[in-house]
Amino acid sequence: MTQGITTPLTQALEEGKLTRDELKPLMQRSNVPALRHLALWVLVLAGTTTLITLAWNSWLIWPAMFLQGIMLVHHFSLQHECVHYTVFRTRKLNNIVGQICGLIILLPHRFFRYEHCDHHTYTQLTGKDPELIPMPKTYGEYLFYLTAIPYWQAKFTEISRHAMGRLSDDEKRFIPKEEHAAVFRDARMMLCLYALIFVGMAVTGWWELIWYWIIPLFLGEPVMRFIRMTEHVGRPTVAQMSDNTRTNLVSAPWRFLCWNMNYHAEHHYVPLVPYHTLPRLHEKLRDHVHVEPRGYLGAHIDILSQIQEARA
Amino acid sequence: MNDTPWRDVIAVDELEKAWVTRVQVERRTIAVYDTPTGIYASLALCTHGGADLCDGYFDDHVIECPLHQGAFDVRDGKPIAAPATRAMRMLEVRVRDGQVQMRI
Repeated sequence: MTQGITTPLTQALEEGKLTRDELKPLMQRSNVPALRHLALWVLVLAGTTTLITLAWNSWLIWPAMFLQGIMLVHHFSLQHECVHYTVFRTRKLNNIVGQICGLIILLPHRFFRYEHCDHHTYTQLTGKDPELIPMPKTYGEYLFYLTAIPYWQAKFTEISRHAMGRLSDDEKRFIPKEEHAAVFRDARMMLCLYALIFVGMAVTGWWELIWYWIIPLFLGEPVMRFIRMTEHVGRPTVAQMSDNTRTNLVSAPWRFLCWNMNYHAEHHYVPLVPYHTLPRLHEKLRDHVHVEPRGYLGAHIDILSQIQEARA
Repeated sequence: MNDTPWRDVIAVDELEKAWVTRVQVERRTIAVYDTPTGIYASLALCTHGGADLCDGYFDDHVIECPLHQGAFDVRDGKPIAAPATRAMRMLEVRVRDGQVQMRI
C-alpha cells in the first residue's frame, strides 16, 4: 500500500502560509498566456536566426550564434513547464511541445519527467536528488561546470545507455518497470532522428543547421548551466523547502526566457501552479522562502563567497 | 455483493463545486470529487508517491497529484498521465437526502 507523505504544499497549507481559497485561482490552467508567450518566443527566435543569416560571412556570426544559443537552451525552461503539464491546459499539448523542446536540446521528454519527479521528491538531498548539482569545492570545479562539458558528458552517456537498453541503478529507482521499454524507445527514436537529419544534410549538402542549431546550442549551454546553478547550489542540502531552494529576482527579459522559473522556491512549493501565476504565488510566499534580490549574479556571488570561505 | 451499510460522509452542499473536497472518516482520508456527471470518491493518497490528492488540481473528471502531476480519471480511478501507473482505489458513492453516502 502507498505510504502517505507530506508535500511542501500540504505543509504550507497546514502552516497557514497559504489557504486553499488563495491557491485555487492560482492553479487554473489556460492556453491563452502560453500561446501569447510562445508567439513572442517564435518572433525572438526568428530574430536571432535572422542575425545569424545577416552575419554569415563575418566574425559577427559568433555573437549572433551565441544569442541564438541563449534562446535555444531556454527550451529547457519551456520543456520543464511541460513536464509539469502547466504550460497549456491539455496534457496532450504539453506533451507535444515538451517533446519538440526535448528534441532541440537532446533531452527525451518522458525520461526527463521521471527524473524531474524524483528531483521534486528529494530536492537537494545528496545521493537521492538525480538533478543535484554538487557545490563546487574550488574555483576550478566551478568554472569547469560552467563550461557545460560535464553536463554534455552526462547527457550523451545517458541517452546512449538508454538507446542500448540499459538504466543506471538510480534510474531503475525512479522509472517504473512498465515504462523502461518506452524510455529505451524514446532514446532510440531521438538518436535515429538526429542521424536522419545529419544524413539529410550530407545528401543535400545543406549544412546550415550546424550553424543555426548545433553550434549555438553548445555555445549557449554554459548560460543555462549558469542559471541552473542559481536554483539550489549553495543552499543547504536539507529537505526543508524554505531553505534548500533559491528564488532569484531577475529582470523581465530573463523571466520571459525562463518562463518565470526564477521563482524557483515557489515552484517547488506548488509545482501545480502554472508559470504565468508564479509571480502572484511569490507575493504570497516571499516571506517564507529564500529570495536572492540581486538575481542570478547575486546567487553566483553567494556561491563564490562560499567557495572562498570553505578554502579559507 | 457488498454488505457494508451505507453511511453519510458529507452533505452535498458542503462539497466544493467542480472541485475536490477532503473528507475524514475515522482514520481514512477520502477525496470526494464534484464532476459534471456526478459525485465520485477515492482514497486520497496518490498511488505513485503518496501525496494527498485533495491538495491537487481538479479539472472536469481528472485529479492531478500536487507533487508530481500524475493524473487519474475519477470515474474509474485509472491513471491517465505519467508518472502515475497504478489505479486509484475508488469508493462506492450515492446521494440520499442531500447527503453523500459511501460504503466504508
